[in-house]
Amino acid sequence: MTTTIAGPAPLDETITIDQLTRDPYPLYRQMRAERPVLRVISVGRTLLTKAADCKMVKDNPGLFSSDDPNTPMKRAFLAHTLMRKDGEEHMRERMAMMPAFLPKTIQNHWAPMYTKYAEDYVGRLPRGEVVDLFPALAGPLAARILAEIMGVPDASDEEMQRWSQALIDGAGNFGWRDEPFAVSDQANREMDACLERNAERLRAEPDASALSIMVNAENPIAWSQIVANVKIAIGGGINEPRDSALTEIFGLLTNPDQLEEVKRQEAWSKAFEEAVRWCAPIQASSRLVLEDTEIRGCHIPKGDTVMTIQASACHDEEIYEAPERYIVFRDKNPHQAFGSGPHHCAGAHVARRTVGAILMPVLFDRFPNIELVDPAIVTWQGFGFRGPINLPVRLN
Amino acid sequence: MVKVTYVSTTGERTTVDGRAGDSVMQTAVDHGIEGIVGECGGSMACATCHVFVDEAFLAATGERSAGEEAMLDGAASEVRPNSRLSCQIRLTDDLDGLVVQVADEQM
Repeated sequence: MTTTIAGPAPLDETITIDQLTRDPYPLYRQMRAERPVLRVISVGRTLLTKAADCKMVKDNPGLFSSDDPNTPMKRAFLAHTLMRKDGEEHMRERMAMMPAFLPKTIQNHWAPMYTKYAEDYVGRLPRGEVVDLFPALAGPLAARILAEIMGVPDASDEEMQRWSQALIDGAGNFGWRDEPFAVSDQANREMDACLERNAERLRAEPDASALSIMVNAENPIAWSQIVANVKIAIGGGINEPRDSALTEIFGLLTNPDQLEEVKRQEAWSKAFEEAVRWCAPIQASSRLVLEDTEIRGCHIPKGDTVMTIQASACHDEEIYEAPERYIVFRDKNPHQAFGSGPHHCAGAHVARRTVGAILMPVLFDRFPNIELVDPAIVTWQGFGFRGPINLPVRLN
Repeated sequence: MVKVTYVSTTGERTTVDGRAGDSVMQTAVDHGIEGIVGECGGSMACATCHVFVDEAFLAATGERSAGEEAMLDGAASEVRPNSRLSCQIRLTDDLDGLVVQVADEQM
């Protein structure tokens, strides 16, 4: 009897971060077909591009830890956040704010508020002009509702977006340059002041916001973790609703027959699910390997960092026909855009019930003849986070 | 084999053969039961696998944990005394014949 010892995963020395940032999808398609477990030198991680592997890793936190020590995230947030924790510690911090993000609270508080904001923000867009929906609608609206949900309503749209970007740029500063950290440090100072001010207000007048729930809990988590939780939500809660909204608008406008059918059936929720499948706003996540293991016949050593590529999982040909196309009316759409396992996106319900169910009908109702100026001038960008960085439309 | 019956919101009953050790959520997903999403894979992180357990099996399915309770509190459908997140019920031979009703809204 012989035992075969799995060899290491194949190594790629040619793919660049720049390529992955511009358009990773053709590369992922090739990886899924030929090298679904691939060490990519430029990324410094083992990329997993098949849906089953991504799900398996996310669902096994005992073997694949979220505590990846080699990222600048801690430096950017000035805190060890729940995103990089496991087990009970992660669960406790997550559950401290989770009630603010669950369907019941959304239904009672955030959906009515979001409807009002969506109508206001859409209502002030000028008719008959060319408008870029990234800065004019998707960014500020995502910032506004997040400020309310988190319990910092006095933070302006501009501040929320700037803080968010500062945290993202800091957490992605793998070159450990000084300047992005200087910007995130400044944002941290501003956020700290804002949080202290609002915590004081909410202790006196509790509401349904995440900050209120956390500071007024019977056994509150430490203040440092409350702050870290809000920063995680700010760092990760603006770009996703913004990018998913822009992706969905692009998908619908470039498929007018589907748009008509979505309107007729009021299939807005399907249109949203397909948008996040088509271009997952969070494309990749890292996990630290705690014990030697094997994936698809490749030896994955303890201490390695694997990267689940949700973007690719959502395009896996084993699950999807014509994955590169935006097709609202798919039979089934079991995508992994919101991840899986204990770190499943805490904002999933909020996104579905705001961007998915409210914003789109408000926008297409107000501007039934909205059209893209030119699909070719829309630029898509991002390796970790991805979406259109501009969306010029003519509003009629 | 452990038989599990899922009752849909319209009253339709589907009985499947589950495996001892699997969760009621996983068994539903594996058999394509409508209305049980289980998007987080059973980590009690998404509250999309809400079911109502048939009274006859309430004792055998055990108690809700504090975390499960908190997630159910915010779930999309009304919470009843027999509400459970089906990812938190593990099939055992004692649960053969289990009947659960799927909550009408999960997301």
